[in-house]
Amino acid sequence: MTTDAFSEDAFSSVGRRLGRPDVAAKATGAALYGADITLPGMLIGRILMSPHAHARVAKIDVSKAKALPGVAAVITYDDVPKRGFTRSVMAEGLPSFAYEGENQDQFILSDKARYIGDWMAAVAAVDVYTAERALDLIEVEYEVLPAVFDPEEALEDGAPAVHDGWKDNVAGIIDHPFNRGDIEAALAASAHVVEFSGRNSRQKQAHMEPDVAIASWDSQGRLTVWSPCQNAHLAKKAMGRRVFDIGEGNVRWITPAVGGGFGARLSFGVEPVAAMLAKVAGKPVKVVVTREEDFNGWNSRTEQRQTIRIGVTEDGTINAIEQNVLSDAGAYFSHSGTISAVNMQSTLGVFRSPVVRGKATMVYTNNPTSSGMRGYGNPEGSFILQQAVDMAAEKCGMNPVEFRLKNAKGVGEPSMWEPQNLTSCALPACVEQGAEAIGWKDKWQGWGVEKQGRYRRGVGMSIMTHASGAGGFLLEHSTAVIKLNEDGSAQLSVSPCEMGQGILGTLSQIAAEATGLRYENIRVVTGDTDVTLFDIGTHASRSTYAIGNAVLDAGKKVRAAILHRAARRMDLFPEELGVRDGMVYAKADPGITISVADISREAIYDYGTDAEHIMATGKHQCVMHCPNFQAGFAEIEVDVETGVIKVLRLVIAHDIGRAINPLTVEGCLEGGAAQGLGYALTEDLVIDRQTGKVVSDSFATYKILSSLDMPEVEIILVEEPDPTGPFGAKGVGETGITNVAPSIANALYDAVGIRVHSLPMTPEKVLGALEATGPSTRPGPSARLSVAIGEVQARKAVPYS
Amino acid sequence: MASSKEIAAFLVNGNEYEVIIEPHLLLIDVLRDKLGLTGTKYACGAGDCGACTVLIDGRPSFSCLTLAVTAKGKSILTIEGVAEGNELDPIQQAFVDQGAVQCGFCTPGMILSTKALLDENPEPTRDEIKTALAGNLCRCTGYVKIVDAVEAAAAAMRDGGGR
Repeated sequence: MTTDAFSEDAFSSVGRRLGRPDVAAKATGAALYGADITLPGMLIGRILMSPHAHARVAKIDVSKAKALPGVAAVITYDDVPKRGFTRSVMAEGLPSFAYEGENQDQFILSDKARYIGDWMAAVAAVDVYTAERALDLIEVEYEVLPAVFDPEEALEDGAPAVHDGWKDNVAGIIDHPFNRGDIEAALAASAHVVEFSGRNSRQKQAHMEPDVAIASWDSQGRLTVWSPCQNAHLAKKAMGRRVFDIGEGNVRWITPAVGGGFGARLSFGVEPVAAMLAKVAGKPVKVVVTREEDFNGWNSRTEQRQTIRIGVTEDGTINAIEQNVLSDAGAYFSHSGTISAVNMQSTLGVFRSPVVRGKATMVYTNNPTSSGMRGYGNPEGSFILQQAVDMAAEKCGMNPVEFRLKNAKGVGEPSMWEPQNLTSCALPACVEQGAEAIGWKDKWQGWGVEKQGRYRRGVGMSIMTHASGAGGFLLEHSTAVIKLNEDGSAQLSVSPCEMGQGILGTLSQIAAEATGLRYENIRVVTGDTDVTLFDIGTHASRSTYAIGNAVLDAGKKVRAAILHRAARRMDLFPEELGVRDGMVYAKADPGITISVADISREAIYDYGTDAEHIMATGKHQCVMHCPNFQAGFAEIEVDVETGVIKVLRLVIAHDIGRAINPLTVEGCLEGGAAQGLGYALTEDLVIDRQTGKVVSDSFATYKILSSLDMPEVEIILVEEPDPTGPFGAKGVGETGITNVAPSIANALYDAVGIRVHSLPMTPEKVLGALEATGPSTRPGPSARLSVAIGEVQARKAVPYS
Repeated sequence: MASSKEIAAFLVNGNEYEVIIEPHLLLIDVLRDKLGLTGTKYACGAGDCGACTVLIDGRPSFSCLTLAVTAKGKSILTIEGVAEGNELDPIQQAFVDQGAVQCGFCTPGMILSTKALLDENPEPTRDEIKTALAGNLCRCTGYVKIVDAVEAAAAAMRDGGGR
């Protein structure tokens, strides 16, 4: 997008490390998050959650709760519309034929508990203490049913049926849309075949802001919701057409400041309960939840058990890849289908292969409902794929760097969404610069080099491709409005979800560059579906690329309108003018200027016949987007006595296209790396396999990293502008997480010759695997534990206690 | 219940307030619900994350674990009291400039822990900074730019930007 109007040498906003418009309010405590908002007459809502993993409500008596002074509403299954919906709000962006595969398996409240924490009733009262007391007064008789907590057991004959409508617990099956060739024949014809199986953990998004929603109905029957949703316009549709039958026009969705999302806010949280309570109470209701309830609840990364087989020729060319995925949806369908599809696209989409086969099966269990988390299938698949790739490289006797470069796709080849070809790909540069930064040449000493001593070092790598939007898969429709003010500033109206990633600043920089205004003079209007035009919202690392393109479109139109009026004023042609930092100038003589403020004010206050409020709408719609690429490297030190993996250094080299704001891009990647490190080593939602209870239900037992746990992280931004991105930019938001676990897993193999098949890679699992490889790798007699690799027993203990 | 209510005086951000409290009330409830100081965040309710950090007589404290009655008459600083009018404190300015704020939910607690650190140790090493902030969890940043910001704030305050 580097055109005459936008000379790379002369960017005034793009590429600069500018402060974001939303953060001063966050640093002073002025920013209002959902829980900070109080409406006149507002009640507090609380939810009664099931203590049983699988139970039918035989009898429920709410009379005592209703009689408690201060209680305004008590609702149960009997009070909610019998309109099934899926918790995934993002699914509203699917084409209708695909949406039909999304099981509409939930009501606002249930008459059957399907996991510990399922929502059985709710109350609204004058304050939280009264609401709590009312919950205690609800009397429920449960008929406890047999439960199933393992997705493979759930598929066995005679397993308890989680949903009556899906007796075999098969929630859905997806064949990868780009399957081709005869996989068995291709593997049989390969010089080497490798196979690797394993599973990821149920990582919690663990956004610092607990889930919250406020709902209020006006006298016309119009519903306003305040909640930290990533897809406000889709939520408006889901609430207006699925949960209730009132139409989208009767729903207004306001997104306050959002205290982190990481995929959790792609789903309904407590919004439907808040809306139902507010409707019954006739007053605004704010539903609040505790951290413990959130850990026990309705969002986590989906656990996927996978097997990958790769066939290679003698010279190290991949000629077949197969992936089988078993997704544990938990109690409700949620994101289990779309996340399985995206897993296969990103996992099977990195490398060139003439024969490809992928298949995913989604299974209901009585585990907490899973959903999507940052990376959305990619960190799940990459942990398995990138270990299998290293195994294939070893079989061929090739350096992992060279094996990957030989087989990775490049410009002109099909992207992860295959009908489209890559318009840019800086992967080779990412691999080269990342390898240099980690010191690969010196530190990787070849396959099978046995290291000595108690502390053994290793290096590992991983590559990935990730979406810069969901074009081809989901709707891609974004809009932007830019409206000039009299003083030469402008309002930019957009509808991403600013959940910390810095998108409002990034879009403001694009708007400033496109219009020729100063960055400081762009004022963002967002967070209200009554004001903003449609946008599918924030997911798929799409906002910079997709909404950025809409902003660029609007900005160019505003720029043209400014130049058109300025040309008449200056008695020149528009082509003879430029605009920069709020000043229009003659290209031939930059001393001749007129301010945008003068143009804008005179256009509005035109006492003749040519008044104009200069503004424009911009649009991004596509079935095409250019994915980004990334190479990750890790250097670790393994203590073979304790099994502890110490990460010495991480390097992430990202194919950003263009860094609109390098400061925020680095921040996304550093934060992603921290989550990736937790995913690799410490984070797991541990579920008791006897009861279905989440054991790690606090920040004390579910370990996210603290400032003391972070190793050195080096971020490398490789800028090779993509011709379809705004100023060449591609996506980044989710991607920092993806390469961390697989590069550590490969470094573990380099250090001590073992592979761990399940996440997180705890000391217990490392020791167990070291034992299994025999005493020769160990300096002394060992260890207390023998936990089979990837086995369910590993989950009974809290591995990080 | 009614008989155990009392009128309690609190000194928050230099202002005196009289509030009707009950024995079970937490300091975070007084700040957020009674005084409308919603910059103090509830995130875990268990003292695990530090989002509710305020300074009580200069020391970082979890307001979600502090009974309000125990804070009577003590000097409490919340995030709303850190800036001087519309002028950001050097710590706040550094957090803004260095990209240390992402979602912002941990930021108030992070800034108050930083203030307590720099009041005591104006020239901390990176390790000392990490130790001082170890009780404040951040899910967004990976802490890199937060540590950068604390270093920048310390430098700015040494150069005379402090107060």
